[in-house]
Amino acid sequence: MTPEERQPTRDELLTMAYVDGELGPDERRELESRMANEPQLVRQVAEYKGLELIARQMAPKEPQDYEWERLARDPAQRSGTLLGFLALAVGLLGLAGWAVFQVAVADIELVPKLLLGSAVGGFTLLFLVVLRARLRLLPTDPYTKVQR
Amino acid sequence: MILSTTNTLHGREIVETIGLVRGTTVRARHLGKDILAFFKGIVGGEIDDYTKLLAEAREQAIDRMVAEAEARGADAIVSMRFGTSEITGAAAEILVYGTAVKLK
Repeated sequence: MTPEERQPTRDELLTMAYVDGELGPDERRELESRMANEPQLVRQVAEYKGLELIARQMAPKEPQDYEWERLARDPAQRSGTLLGFLALAVGLLGLAGWAVFQVAVADIELVPKLLLGSAVGGFTLLFLVVLRARLRLLPTDPYTKVQR
Repeated sequence: MILSTTNTLHGREIVETIGLVRGTTVRARHLGKDILAFFKGIVGGEIDDYTKLLAEAREQAIDRMVAEAEARGADAIVSMRFGTSEITGAAAEILVYGTAVKLK
């Protein structure tokens, strides 16, 4: 009989079922009381737990995961995204600056100018406060690592 | 902590019902991700930025529910359900709730 053909013993099957949480309460209690006196059972359980962990880590990824990871590293994809955001940010900030300048030099009364400045300033300040809070909390937010 | 959508746990006996436990969260991605998601919505396929957003919200809500159950001395949560609502656009609002129980 080759090692591949060897059938698992009853204890091996029991400990496998124990690790997989497939034993009923009575069987579990019985095995646990045996484990208190039989160190080889404890070793077997530890070994199967290790195997279970390895098996879980080696579980195949979804086929699309590889493609997403490849795309995330793809220089064309990265530089395209970066350039797109850069152009968008420059354009929006430029437009905002131009609008502020136009209002500042426009021939309108001082009070509406100040009110508009106050509104824009308040909006900017609130955004910065929220951004600061988010950046402070980001390192302690474990959920940003969740994939799906 | 055992989480189950069923009312009973096979092979385990519930000896005490502690009561309702729940976890909620509302999460959003940043504007940059929303912009990318907008374009992905145009071309089709999975919007992975929003898949990730929902997953983050789901895990956070579950963790909050489990923390409440643990604080109340529960061994398991049965009849677990997910719910959602719409408070604001581009945010994932997840409610998860169940019945905390003690097991024999």
